[in-house]
Amino acid sequence: MIGIIMFGVALVMLMLGFPVAFTFGGVALFFGIYAEGMELFAFMPFRIMSVMQNTVLMAVPLFIFMGVVLQRTKLAEQLLTSMGRLFGGLPGGLAISTILVGALLAASTGVVGASVVAMGLISLPVMLAHKYDKRLSTGTICASGTLGQIVPPSIILIILGDVLGLPVGDLFKAAVWPGVVLIGLYIIYILVLTRLKPETAPAMPVDPGRSRKQEVISALIAIIPPLALIVVVLGSIFSGIATPTESSALGGVGAVVLAIIYRQFSFRMIWDAAQDTVKVTAMVFAILIGATAFSMVFSYTGGDYLLEDWLHMLPGEQWGFIILAMAVILILGFFIDFVEISFIIVPILAPVAEAMGINMLWFAILIAMNLQTSFLTPPFGFALFYLKGVAPPEVKTVDIYKGIIPFIAIQILVLALIVIFPEWFGMSATY
Amino acid sequence: MRWIIKLDEGLARLSTFCGWIACIAMILMTANVFYDVVARYAFNSVSIGMQEMEWHLYSVVFLLGIPYALRNDAHVRVDVFYTNWSNTTKAWVNLIGAIIFVIPFAYLIANYGYSFAVDSYNMGEGSGDPGGLPNRWIIKAVIPFAAFFIATAGLNMVTFALRVISGEKSYEVEHSGGDLA
Amino acid sequence: AQEKFTLRLAETWGPNFPIFGDTTKNFAKLVEEMSDGRLRIRIDSSNKHKAPFGVFDMVKAGQYDMGHSASYYWKGKVPETLFFTSMPFGMTAIEQYAWFYYGDGMELMQEVYAPQNMLSFPGGNTGIQMGGWFRKEIKSLDDLQGLKMRIPGFAGEVFAEVGVSPTNIPPGELYTALERNTIDAVEWVGPALDLRLGFQQIADYYYTGWHEPATELQYLVNKKTWEKLPSDLQTILKTAMRVSAYDMLVLSQHENAKAWANIKKEYPDVQIKNFPEDVFQAMYDANKKLLKEAAGKNDLAKRIVESQEEYLEKTRAYTDISERAYLNTMAEVE
Ligand code: NA
Ligand code: NA
Repeated sequence: MIGIIMFGVALVMLMLGFPVAFTFGGVALFFGIYAEGMELFAFMPFRIMSVMQNTVLMAVPLFIFMGVVLQRTKLAEQLLTSMGRLFGGLPGGLAISTILVGALLAASTGVVGASVVAMGLISLPVMLAHKYDKRLSTGTICASGTLGQIVPPSIILIILGDVLGLPVGDLFKAAVWPGVVLIGLYIIYILVLTRLKPETAPAMPVDPGRSRKQEVISALIAIIPPLALIVVVLGSIFSGIATPTESSALGGVGAVVLAIIYRQFSFRMIWDAAQDTVKVTAMVFAILIGATAFSMVFSYTGGDYLLEDWLHMLPGEQWGFIILAMAVILILGFFIDFVEISFIIVPILAPVAEAMGINMLWFAILIAMNLQTSFLTPPFGFALFYLKGVAPPEVKTVDIYKGIIPFIAIQILVLALIVIFPEWFGMSATY
Repeated sequence: MRWIIKLDEGLARLSTFCGWIACIAMILMTANVFYDVVARYAFNSVSIGMQEMEWHLYSVVFLLGIPYALRNDAHVRVDVFYTNWSNTTKAWVNLIGAIIFVIPFAYLIANYGYSFAVDSYNMGEGSGDPGGLPNRWIIKAVIPFAAFFIATAGLNMVTFALRVISGEKSYEVEHSGGDLA
Repeated sequence: AQEKFTLRLAETWGPNFPIFGDTTKNFAKLVEEMSDGRLRIRIDSSNKHKAPFGVFDMVKAGQYDMGHSASYYWKGKVPETLFFTSMPFGMTAIEQYAWFYYGDGMELMQEVYAPQNMLSFPGGNTGIQMGGWFRKEIKSLDDLQGLKMRIPGFAGEVFAEVGVSPTNIPPGELYTALERNTIDAVEWVGPALDLRLGFQQIADYYYTGWHEPATELQYLVNKKTWEKLPSDLQTILKTAMRVSAYDMLVLSQHENAKAWANIKKEYPDVQIKNFPEDVFQAMYDANKKLLKEAAGKNDLAKRIVESQEEYLEKTRAYTDISERAYLNTMAEVE
């Protein structure tokens, strides 16, 4: 029960505005010492060490570095505004471009801290400069930055493959359509929203001196270099030159090469970019370390056993089970990180589902969709914290909390579609 | 008050020093990963030592980056109330938070991290993989080191808060990672 | 009433990791039943302690009473721990158990772990591990030159000696790395566990094993914990460790057979291969050379290597006229 109280206290403390990472760590400290004594924290060096040796997380500083260099050299702006121009007088062009670029990045990294921060650096200033609504901008970035969780390769799918004993390749294949549908619905949402409220996402100004054809051609030319960079990153993974993590270093070096080509390069610029990267990286990892202290206290005070007990009370009939299981994961996702859910909750649900003859591949995709949402749900959605960490001061936490709601709704809608019409996504609910 | 200003500025230099090392590690790490990819793909040459160096550098980036980010107020806050508060109220939040959250948390990590590293030193621990790096205690020692500097950065939050309370400094100038975006 | 004890055990594996996790669960159940509830084991898997390779240090420091892991993971800390898991071209499971329980194995192992304030016991055997998944067939030693393979530890050193480039890839990226030829080969465990990672979908050549003929896991017990237990509970603990270890070998055989039947049926492209003779010979020589180096480091290492060599010679002579003779006969009549 201590774990549950601790969540409540953390929530209240967070509202005071002390840095999130140390609020998590500090609250964990008090509850941990109270329940288990100081020695509990002898586990912390081990936990920090496992973050240090988790080389997949290297993508965080590397992608952030790429994002910072692209942003400092204005190449990111060029990419997004040019893509936006291709939409001509259509409002929402920048937001749609953000989603498309986010989807491309998603195909290379599955690390939320990397893609949300990189997208935040690249596209938030551009959208704000073009008078986009703060909520729409932040919601779009968080949603597209977490796409990497469902678009393969994805860490969630790999962990679920391990926990459920399913081949990763099958999961990757099964996740493609849900990912595509999600991206499509995000874009449709933006098109509909901007039709109804054009002021939330003004169209790019059209240069009256140039024909539409000239405009499109110059935009296409401007897109090529930064897009080439993304192609290099993705291409290096698909061709086997680099692992997904390593590809992020190619992205960083590629961004520097672009800077040289565009005569934006200076050692000062690289040093400044490194400083920004270190600050943002530290922000992300401090949260990870604070959160690991928090989950340590949660589980060592019996929180995991409590959850297990609750889960054993789920109904034994297929549709009731699926709906309640999804609801439980969604709600837990508000508070607990996805790795905990994958390892504590999924193994309890899986045998029940299997006994009902539920197709485990389908079940895994449902869980993955659901866990992706957990990065976005206030108050503890990590993607929201990360974006806040790189947003200018005029963007408030509340803007981000409100901005994400429509996108969460879309994710729940897609989840429901996969539940009700699995065949649309090339799956079946049962064997 | 004079000595608080002196202390504040001295502590800030410690955090800046950490940031400086982290920045160098950041640049080296990018080069290291890039080199490993090129060497493997173009020259079919793989060095596990170089591969391990990647995570050594990456650990330095984020561990020593944390005190640096503390001094630069780059750690994310939930600003539902915080932004609307006066400088004095913010100073009190930071002062109390640093004393009850940051410093004890850093102290415990430094304390247990120290024996963690010493143990590794005494065993002469190295990598168990072919061609891996020896002297693992060095990278393990970064944990207590970083924790020590997080504690000094926490103390730095206190000294800065005191300067703000005295009216000599304010948070507007330094606050938020906004200069990044 | 008699005093009750609860021992906390940290395992390197995740919860519900098949076979390995079944072993600790089985162990905990046996302990509790045999002691009539006086001794309980609380298992913490890697998702809880988050330090799969910190088990050694945590048991040593007394943060956990017991550990379940594999001795060769600690090679970087205490080099002599290497010898108690499985050695390339070494003993089979039954031979190695004989060495542990009736040869000098146990004594030597306690000698290695005593300065670390721990006791170590056999913790279950995977049986022979497969030689790995390769995307290209290995026809000669030349095909191994510069071949990028995920193969850790001592076996990696042997492979490196014959020209392979051992490569570190985090488990989460292994599938993608193999699929896209970032690496050429992956060594994992055996059919039952390999199947879960899906290598059969992307690599056609499944090589037979030589590098880990009998991978023995280990139980670690903190010395202080051990000493505070009354002798009847110590006996219960020892018995439960031994029974659960034996049961793991049996379960491995069962699960691997099942998984292999499955792979054969659903992935007919997968071919079983032996490394060519020149490759085996080169690896055999490399292994000899490396073992000699390892034995030269100190007296204890030397005694362990010699004990294993002597025992292998004796026990293999019998295996030759018993199991091997039988299997050969079977091969002729089938
Ligand atoms: Na992805
Ligand atoms: Na293996």
